[in-house]
Amino acid sequence: MKKKVLAVLLAGTMVFSMAACGGGSKGEDSAEGGSDGGTTQMSIVLRGGVYADVIKECLPAFEEEHNVTIDVQELSEDDLHTSIALNATSGDGAYDLCMVDGSWMAEFTESGVLANLSELGYELDDDIIEATTSICYVDDSVYLAPYYGNVTVLMLNKANVEEAGYSADTIQSMDDIIKICQQAQANGKLGFLYRGDSQNNLVVDFMPILLSYGGWVVDENNQPTVNTPEFTEAMNAYMELVKTGEAQVKDDLVASIDSGAATMGIGWPGWYTPTEDSAADYIALSGKATADAEANNANVYGIWCLGIPSNSPNSELAAELLTYLMDPEVQRGTVESGGVPCRYSSLQDEEVLATYPQYEVVCQALESGVYRPVISQWTQFYTTLGTEMDNIINGAKTVEQGLADAQTELEELMAE
Amino acid sequence: MKKRKNNNAEAQVKRFSIGMASPAIIVLAIMTAYPLIFTLVYSFSDYNLLKAMSQGVEATGLKNYIDLLSDSYFQQSVWNTVKFTILTVIFEMLVGFAMALFVNSLRKGQKAMRTLLLLPYLLPTVTVAMIWRMMLSPNYGIVNQVMESLHLPVYNWFSDIHTAFGMLVLIDVWQSAPFVFLLLYAALQSVPQGQYEAARMDGANSIKILFYVTIPNIKKSLALCALLRTIDSFRLFDKVNLLTGGGPANSTSTITQYLYNYGIQSFDFGFGSAGAIVMTVIVLILSSFYIRRAIK
Repeated sequence: MKKKVLAVLLAGTMVFSMAACGGGSKGEDSAEGGSDGGTTQMSIVLRGGVYADVIKECLPAFEEEHNVTIDVQELSEDDLHTSIALNATSGDGAYDLCMVDGSWMAEFTESGVLANLSELGYELDDDIIEATTSICYVDDSVYLAPYYGNVTVLMLNKANVEEAGYSADTIQSMDDIIKICQQAQANGKLGFLYRGDSQNNLVVDFMPILLSYGGWVVDENNQPTVNTPEFTEAMNAYMELVKTGEAQVKDDLVASIDSGAATMGIGWPGWYTPTEDSAADYIALSGKATADAEANNANVYGIWCLGIPSNSPNSELAAELLTYLMDPEVQRGTVESGGVPCRYSSLQDEEVLATYPQYEVVCQALESGVYRPVISQWTQFYTTLGTEMDNIINGAKTVEQGLADAQTELEELMAE
Repeated sequence: MKKRKNNNAEAQVKRFSIGMASPAIIVLAIMTAYPLIFTLVYSFSDYNLLKAMSQGVEATGLKNYIDLLSDSYFQQSVWNTVKFTILTVIFEMLVGFAMALFVNSLRKGQKAMRTLLLLPYLLPTVTVAMIWRMMLSPNYGIVNQVMESLHLPVYNWFSDIHTAFGMLVLIDVWQSAPFVFLLLYAALQSVPQGQYEAARMDGANSIKILFYVTIPNIKKSLALCALLRTIDSFRLFDKVNLLTGGGPANSTSTITQYLYNYGIQSFDFGFGSAGAIVMTVIVLILSSFYIRRAIK
């Protein structure tokens, strides 16, 4: 009898424990997602670093005005991508606003991850640099707002470039860049630094060079164009550059160029704030392979956009927050903290340019930039291409063999 | 009459045993069997987290397994993982055992030494990866600075195809050898001192004592350590992901890193599940020797 009572007690305890574990759903959610003593709780998920910092400093004013508290989650690029996707699969969304990389647009909109901003009353204005809005629409409806104007630039050490007989203003083409890096190597410095720590970084690092040679990764029908004369020429040029330096991670790359240990590398404005006295500077790539060649758009966007998840618990309030964060005055206010708005009113403002002259370069780069292909298979695409490029760079395959293999694999991927 | 009474008692004991075991069985079924069965089912489908929201899921039979096993990068990842597991388990066992023998032989300061030697194992893997990344940085790393001052060649440790894999082995041995040390040190404490005294009286030297007294007494702990380290090394992911991302030229890509790159990152969970099942089977085969012995 005692044993029976004990067994019943244990079973009962287990049932209660499991009920307690699983039963915190609706009541808790509604308290968190809705109001708590008159204050609404919002949650936003952002790319960590300066991109989130500039938003965080704008939030107190909005919180006060709308009587809300905003919880900010800062994530790495990969984690952000995964979190937004996982959030989309649940009925009750956890996020009201999210930061989205332009290259995720296709897979997110195809799967209904993002809300239609036009339906929520938000529209992009004319002050925003037009080229940066090219991926923000689906059938004339706005789904994203370009917030942080990240665009590839050529980061360089001024002294090393001068030692090689050039200056930032006289770099006309890829030929010049290769010559400078080779001369720097002859002078005992590292020439070109590339980011070989992931397939994504490698592909993005190479894209501005590919564009300078008139190539691209897909054609107008989104079919891979990896095994083309332009791509091969660009890859050979990249190999010339790689020979003069080495692979480094972001922090090492910035430190090496700033210290003069290395001469050049592809970077982003958010990484470094040059001043008149700083050892490093950045310029927009001319887009020319040689001095006489035709200039191409050679700046690749890494713009961080803002969107609202379609399952946002407070979508109307989120639209108000988005409108507030995209306000020209609010955005201009973020410049001091490292913000790079995609707006003429900020980037061409005389006061801003007097303190931060590099924004002129950023503005030019944003006007002529190119987004990565808007295809839902982009993650698999860059993984495949980056893997083959890595093989080529490390001598596991020749340029011809690596590009031919990449073309075959990518054709299979796009045919699926 | 007596027989019926016995049968009743047996049935009661049986019912009670089932009643006692059922909570654990139910929890195990929910926490382990359910996800495993789900992973197995997914592995035969084209399940993609995002696409499933708009296009649903379709059964694809063995396609994921055929794609996986015929992919040369997966084959390379399997080979890298096996190579990594063999090397790390051998070095961790040797270093951990040497540490345990050393600490066990100390007459003073055993506690302090034990704590110091355990420190690397107590650190989170992310911290370990960051510490080593800083130390081996080609830009400001102390290792290259020391080598430069000694006029030795310096390397870009994690980006050089000749050094990246070796560095991951070194870091894993540095972090996990203390785990082996801890288990073997505990086992050494339980070896009867009388056996050592008898061996010494018979004129056995240190080497003979090691091979004929110490090792036979702790062989079960050695086997357990090797099994646990094999399973853990086989699942290596965080260090690779943080330090090399599987490069250069796939030289450090492990099975988990491959699955992350080609399955998880693109939300292709059907393909990723097939990889997870293949990996589970390989780990089961590797550990079957020990499991069979444990069941016996």
